[in-house]
Amino acid sequence: MSEIKERSPDQLMVFGIIGGLLGIYLTYLLPLAGERIGGKIEIVLNTIAPVAGALGAICAVIWGADAVRRVAKYGLGTGVPSIGQIALGMGIIAAMFGLAIIKTQPLAGPVVAVITASIIGFIIGWFAQNVIKMKIPVMIRCMTEIAAAGAIIIIGYSAAVAGNYDFVNNLIPRVFDNGVILFIFWVGAVAMLHPFNACLGPDEKQKRMLYLAGSTGASTMAIVGLAAIITIGASGAITMILGIVLWIIFYKKFWDEVYNDAASVVGTGLIPKTEA
Amino acid sequence: MVLLDPTTLIDIGLIGLSGALICLAVHFIPVGGAPAAMAQATGIGTGTVELAAGSGLVGLITSSYMLHADPSASMALVMASGALGASVMLASTMLAGGFIYAYGVAVPFASAQVKKDPITGQRQDNYVSKGTQGQGIPTICFVSGVVGSGLGGAGGGLIYSVLMHYYSPLISATSAAAVAGVFTMGVFYVNSVIPSYGVGGTIEGVHDPKFRRVVPKDVFTSVVVSMLCGVVAILIAGGMTP
Repeated sequence: MSEIKERSPDQLMVFGIIGGLLGIYLTYLLPLAGERIGGKIEIVLNTIAPVAGALGAICAVIWGADAVRRVAKYGLGTGVPSIGQIALGMGIIAAMFGLAIIKTQPLAGPVVAVITASIIGFIIGWFAQNVIKMKIPVMIRCMTEIAAAGAIIIIGYSAAVAGNYDFVNNLIPRVFDNGVILFIFWVGAVAMLHPFNACLGPDEKQKRMLYLAGSTGASTMAIVGLAAIITIGASGAITMILGIVLWIIFYKKFWDEVYNDAASVVGTGLIPKTEA
Repeated sequence: MVLLDPTTLIDIGLIGLSGALICLAVHFIPVGGAPAAMAQATGIGTGTVELAAGSGLVGLITSSYMLHADPSASMALVMASGALGASVMLASTMLAGGFIYAYGVAVPFASAQVKKDPITGQRQDNYVSKGTQGQGIPTICFVSGVVGSGLGGAGGGLIYSVLMHYYSPLISATSAAAVAGVFTMGVFYVNSVIPSYGVGGTIEGVHDPKFRRVVPKDVFTSVVVSMLCGVVAILIAGGMTP
């Protein structure tokens, strides 16, 4: 087999954190910039701002899917879905905490959420490794990473539905009261756990899985856009259309990768009957 | 510091306790995983998390309905209605699963972990097919599952009622219910995955030798993690004060 080039965990971590936080912050900063400029640009910036949140969440989905891949390769004994669900469970607790605790410093919210998620993830990872004794060397690091990715996914998609990430004024009435948060929780978890769950096996390759992660993230974005049309109107339509376009692009890439990898499988025929 | 107030400490302790209840619940439920789905192991053919969370979330719905119908309902009543909802949910799952195992797959219900069913006293080992870990859902597993889901539902109801007590004075009733419910769901998922790592995917119920081996360390982990979540939940209330 030829040498397979893989993206390193650090590379994807930087991509997930920077891309995710950038997207989340743009939902808050673009309207502020629009206010300074005024006129038609303000309307445009206000409309596209929530879309950035969903794009940030896709970065986190790709990062989280890779972290799931690294830890689930060892065989958890409970199936891959369990780790996606614990990730979003930790993520939602940390996201609510980070966004609620910050009253006068709205810019600090997402960073506090990511740090809190990392701490909760680290503690659970440490317990899994040292008390439950799972004997998975990457457990602590991956648990920390998937918790942080889970928090970014929750905040990103929620901001795309609510307009920005202000907890009391925007998230509670537009995401929590109408139950959209449950959708974000479930589908966000599936977006993160599905790529490795679907690709795992003897001929699993990182590139193929990452494209599938992009496609699950984008399809989630499309449905989040549908919810956003009801809550914030025009921005939701952009989120949905962009989500569908990205979904098609990523899915085509994944499709090509599948064809490419399948081409190297050589038919060997049936097992020859040997005389003992 | 608001966290060092005795009532707050008791509430954090209660959230820790409910984490322990949810964690215990997972050990009681007969989870068979993929082997059980092929009728090669005893239990229900799906994962720990799905069963614990599925029954627990129904418990959350029934307990929140209790609190909605009577806002002054005592904590015991809220927990009892949570336990009832979760038990009904898991019992009906096991009943439907049992019909499929008995009349669809056509296997005798037998446990490979014990020689005689502790409740009915019937021989088990004669009925275990060769190469399998038992099949179907025997009486002891069914009873253990009903008890376990009851514990999980009671745990969910306990967290919910503690959190509602904190959030409802700060925001509107609907919003408080939404925030408390979502937080409870998060704690539920964390606490149902941790023990599922401990049991390694499958467990038959209270009679399984694995039960005694893994319960202490799993419960300890869940209590610590849930208390951490409790601290976080109470700080969220601080963030919502206008």
